Amino acid sequence: MRIGLHLLEGEIEWSDHLLELIYADPLCGACDVGCKRNLDLEIGLTLEALRVKAVQDKAGPMPGQKKVIENIKKTGNIYASSKPRNGWVTKDINVCEKADTVYYPGCLSSFEKKELARTSAMLLNEAGVDFMLLPSESCCGNVAFSAGDVETARSIAEKNIANMRATGAKTLVVSCAECYRMWKVDYPKLLKIRTSDLGFEVKHIIEAAYDAWKAGSLELDSPVNLQVTYHDSCGVSRLCDDWEPYKGERGWMGTIEPGLKRRRGRQGLYLKTRELLEAIPGLELREMQRTRENALCCAGGRGTALDFPELSSFSAAERLREAESTGAEALVTACPWCVSNFSNVKQDGDPFEINDISQILLRAAGQGGDKE
Amino acid sequence: MSIQKDAYEIIKKIVGETHITDDPADCIGYRSGPGGYENGTGYDRVMTRIPGAIAMPESSEQVQQIVKVCARYGVPYVPYSTGFYGPRSHPHVDNALIIDLKRMRGFEIDAKHYYIVVEPGVIYSQIQQVCMEHGAYVVVGGGGAQTSAVANLLNDGWSPLSYRIGLPQRRILGLEMIMPDGEIVRMGSLADGEDPFWGEGIGPDLRGILRGYTGLLGCLGICTRMAIKTLPFQPVTPKPQGISPDTSLSLPEKRVKWLNFTMPDLDAVQRAHIELGHAEVGGAITKVPLFWRAIAKAEDKEDFWRLWLKETEDSVRNFCIVRVMLIGYTSEEQFDYDYHVLSDIMKELGGIERRTKPSDESWFKNADSAGMWLMTGSYVSVDYIMESYTQAFRQGVSSMELKDRYTPPLMPDFKDLGWFQGCEMGHLGYFEFLMYWDQREDTAGVDQFYVETSKMCIENGYYTSLLGAHQPLMLTGPKYGPGYHEWILKLKKEFDPEWMCHPPMPLAHDEFVKRAPWMKEVCNWNPPEDLPYPDRWKRQTGV
Repeated sequence: MRIGLHLLEGEIEWSDHLLELIYADPLCGACDVGCKRNLDLEIGLTLEALRVKAVQDKAGPMPGQKKVIENIKKTGNIYASSKPRNGWVTKDINVCEKADTVYYPGCLSSFEKKELARTSAMLLNEAGVDFMLLPSESCCGNVAFSAGDVETARSIAEKNIANMRATGAKTLVVSCAECYRMWKVDYPKLLKIRTSDLGFEVKHIIEAAYDAWKAGSLELDSPVNLQVTYHDSCGVSRLCDDWEPYKGERGWMGTIEPGLKRRRGRQGLYLKTRELLEAIPGLELREMQRTRENALCCAGGRGTALDFPELSSFSAAERLREAESTGAEALVTACPWCVSNFSNVKQDGDPFEINDISQILLRAAGQGGDKE
Repeated sequence: MSIQKDAYEIIKKIVGETHITDDPADCIGYRSGPGGYENGTGYDRVMTRIPGAIAMPESSEQVQQIVKVCARYGVPYVPYSTGFYGPRSHPHVDNALIIDLKRMRGFEIDAKHYYIVVEPGVIYSQIQQVCMEHGAYVVVGGGGAQTSAVANLLNDGWSPLSYRIGLPQRRILGLEMIMPDGEIVRMGSLADGEDPFWGEGIGPDLRGILRGYTGLLGCLGICTRMAIKTLPFQPVTPKPQGISPDTSLSLPEKRVKWLNFTMPDLDAVQRAHIELGHAEVGGAITKVPLFWRAIAKAEDKEDFWRLWLKETEDSVRNFCIVRVMLIGYTSEEQFDYDYHVLSDIMKELGGIERRTKPSDESWFKNADSAGMWLMTGSYVSVDYIMESYTQAFRQGVSSMELKDRYTPPLMPDFKDLGWFQGCEMGHLGYFEFLMYWDQREDTAGVDQFYVETSKMCIENGYYTSLLGAHQPLMLTGPKYGPGYHEWILKLKKEFDPEWMCHPPMPLAHDEFVKRAPWMKEVCNWNPPEDLPYPDRWKRQTGV
């Protein structure tokens, strides 16, 4: 906040070090929920705004982010891969031509962590949820948005939303917490609309599984004999409250007019995930000290690792240490970026498992999952 | 702006290249405000400066080496940890070095003998978590769970739990200080080896001077290690629940419980504090300002004002609720016994028990202050005192009457009397008075009211905690002591003859009154023409 105020007043200028201060941060929302508790300060939006200003002033984004943004512009994915996005689909997965639900796996699961796209799709099959894929699917634009390149991000949002609306489907299911946040929160933010005005519902695989389990169409009765701890990925916890455009003014004693329902991370999927995990026979959930909206971010998301790999590794290793200190045998999370980041820092030979929630739920639903 | 180049280069060799900076963006990040304590006051605007550089040592030895360099090159410095005290914990002169102690995170616990030894980078939430895992607890001071325990105990450390756990200064079992000449001084039990079980050690003990009643904001040296007493708790670890901001600790119902009693009047509130202390039951006893209840109920700032502006002077005057926390330290039977004693006392005094939730919203893990300035974004505890119960309540009435004259710019509080609590098992009464304002308004009245409270205390013969570094020394010093100001200045001269450590403390508020034109109308004491700074300091800073 202090740096932002001084930048606005022209008291400091852009420098490599200032860019590092602004970009060496996973924008995980921890400071946002913390400071809003005390002062209703919008820390998260301020940090995003600083990056937008950096790009507008042609100081940002960081080199690694720039490269990925170029990749997205050229190929529609972060890897500049020319391979088809649906290369993860195997014969045992039933994908419909037309359905009320669209499954959107995101870049990481489409190209690198294909097993996670498969387990999510198989879980939807198991739950009896017919789904289709987005025709001409492309990246969600997370790196562009998180780097402050809102022009590129807005253009991606417009295309993706138009594609989704054109399918006529009522629900978009994602298995990546970063994609979830983009579709549910940041697309509406970029387009100055409400989340409820998207014209379709955005669900994470956690919600899709939860709804099916509650409705009785997904049974989680196969034992998973495992002591696990759950890591709340930022995109499905403190960062996923619905977006609502706001315009107002500061008044007496710092109050604002009109009032604003502040986003405090209350819509996080904290309880649904835990309810699902605790329903699985044989599975024991051991909580870490920092959980739910206070969870320590692994720093694997929002393009952080592209330019600050040491920060991402440090944060993931610290969180992994916390996870292992619970005595659990495995960590469960809800984002392929977290899975990937934790797996990268895990020591060779360490038997501690890193699992996506879809893998655990699929095991409980009677399938061994697909570990590629 | 930066510190002297030669000094910078030597300090870089001490802490390493990545732990020192004079980059403008880093330095701005360390400036005072926005938010919280004294935010937007004249003191904040007039007295604070952006630091010239920041160094982050990782050991006492590095701190020792840094202050020696500062002494040699005449670089003023400010010890810094979590920065709760807003403007007062930031540099007051140009080209100062902030010595940020957050990398010093040493933490030892002796669960059997109930003490911990911590460095300044350790915060309360970490300590409380570990203590509770070992069946112990500490008081998370009013500064909040995010504050450095060392800094908090050097300056404050109060909480309703002080009723049972004792005064903050008594919990400091030992200290390690780096004097401004680089000498390491170990006090209390840390003076004698590494066994800080008792607070006493061999030789003279300077803990009282360095800590004083409310501390001198680091102007006598840098505390690099502190041994702190912990106390036995009951065996069930309370569990966190809820989503921010509606979080709390779920309490084990047969061992820990908050109870609220509506009392017939303020006399009964006072009697309840005294009688419960005599009976030696409870873990905390307090009467809080009514606006805290509105904070607890409010969804946000706007909601607070919607709720608070429904109150009236009558509703505030008639708010006579005593909050009591019972803790079954030894057993459920002890908890039941305490409950029955409490019930008997309250019945005699006409108290009616109200329904409460089986949870703690703040005091064990969070403390209050992190949320208690929500309504305006700016606050100060104008005074906090230890007194007899009757005197503490009397001071509340005087403070309220004075505050009323300065409202606005102070927030309308409908003549609230402030915060009271029992301390030291009822042997002492505690009073704290808070003020809030809008930092974008004209805050001259805020600065004036703050100093006027000191004058009120002097006039009425009240004790005040805010001496020395917190109020004009030349106003309070001659009236308390006697010769309090002379002692403080002699100590400063002895410890820090060149005024390198957080200058111009302890004369900072005198300097502020001198510099701020709007303070002239309240300055009816006789400050010396020239404040008694050392000659070298005057030459260097031009003050």
